[in-house]
Amino acid sequence: MALGGAAAPLTGCDLFDRDQEPPAPDALEPLAAEALALEARYRAAATAAPALAGRLTPIADAHKAHAEELRRVIGRPAPSGTPAAAGSASAPAPDAVLTELRQAEQEGRTNAAKACAEAPAERAALLGSIAAARATHVEALK
Amino acid sequence: MNPTKSPSPAQALADALAAEYAAIWAYGVIGVHLTGAARTAARAAEAAHRSRRDALLLQLAEGSGQVPADRAGYALPYPVTDRAGALRLAVEIEERTAGHWRAALAHTSGVERNTALAALTDCALRATRWRRTAGVTPVTVPFPGRPA
Repeated sequence: MALGGAAAPLTGCDLFDRDQEPPAPDALEPLAAEALALEARYRAAATAAPALAGRLTPIADAHKAHAEELRRVIGRPAPSGTPAAAGSASAPAPDAVLTELRQAEQEGRTNAAKACAEAPAERAALLGSIAAARATHVEALK
Repeated sequence: MNPTKSPSPAQALADALAAEYAAIWAYGVIGVHLTGAARTAARAAEAAHRSRRDALLLQLAEGSGQVPADRAGYALPYPVTDRAGALRLAVEIEERTAGHWRAALAHTSGVERNTALAALTDCALRATRWRRTAGVTPVTVPFPGRPA
C-alpha cells in the first residue's frame, strides 16, 4: 500500500530539526539603522561643539523619532549586533561639523526618497515625511 | 494612516490641487505684509505653487476624474494684519499643503509618487525657511506634513 510510506517513522532531522530559516530582514532595516547613526552623529557633534547644540539637538531628536517610527512599522526588534554608530571622537571645528552633517543628511535624504519610491502604499507617507525632514535638516544646517 | 479613508489616486491628487489653490490665494495675502527678501521669497513660493497647480491640472485632465475648480476666496484661520501674522500663515499653509501631498504618496506609485514626494519636500523646505525668517525655533518638524 502506498500509505505505508506516509506511516514511516519520522527520521532524524525531518520535522523538528530542520534549520529555521531566519526571516528575511525588513527592507527598512538599513533606514532605521541610518536614523540611529545620524542621531548619534548629531549628539556627538552637539557635545563637541556646544555652541551648535541648540541647532543640532532638535535634529537629533527628529532622527530618534524616525528610528522609533520605523521600528514600530517594521514590527520586530532591531537585529542583534546593530552597531551603535561610531561618532568621531575628535572635536573638529564647527564649520567642519556642519559640512559633514550636511553631507550625511543629503545621503540620508536620497536613501529615504528611494525607500519611499519602492515602498508599499501603507509605508509611503512615513518614508516621505522622513525624506522631507532630512531635506529640511540640510536647510537648517546652512 | 486611516485605512477606512482611502481615496482613489485621482481624489488624492484632486485634494492636493485644492490645497495648491488655497496656497496660491494665501500668498496673495501674505505678500502684501512682507517687504524685501521676504516678499521676494513669498513671490517665489507662490510661483512654485502655481507650477504644481498647473501640473496637477494637466495630470487630472488626462484622467477621467473630476478636476476641482478654484474657489473665489478662502476663509483665513485668523486675521492677517502684519508681518508676524503673514509669516505664521506662510508656515501653516506650507505644512497644510505638505500634508495633502503626503497623503497622495500612499495613492500613487512610480513617477506620480516621486512628484508627490518632491512637492511634499518643497513645502517642508519653504516651511523651514519661513520659520527661520520668523525667528521660530526649531526651524524643522520631525514629520513634515503629518497631522499633528
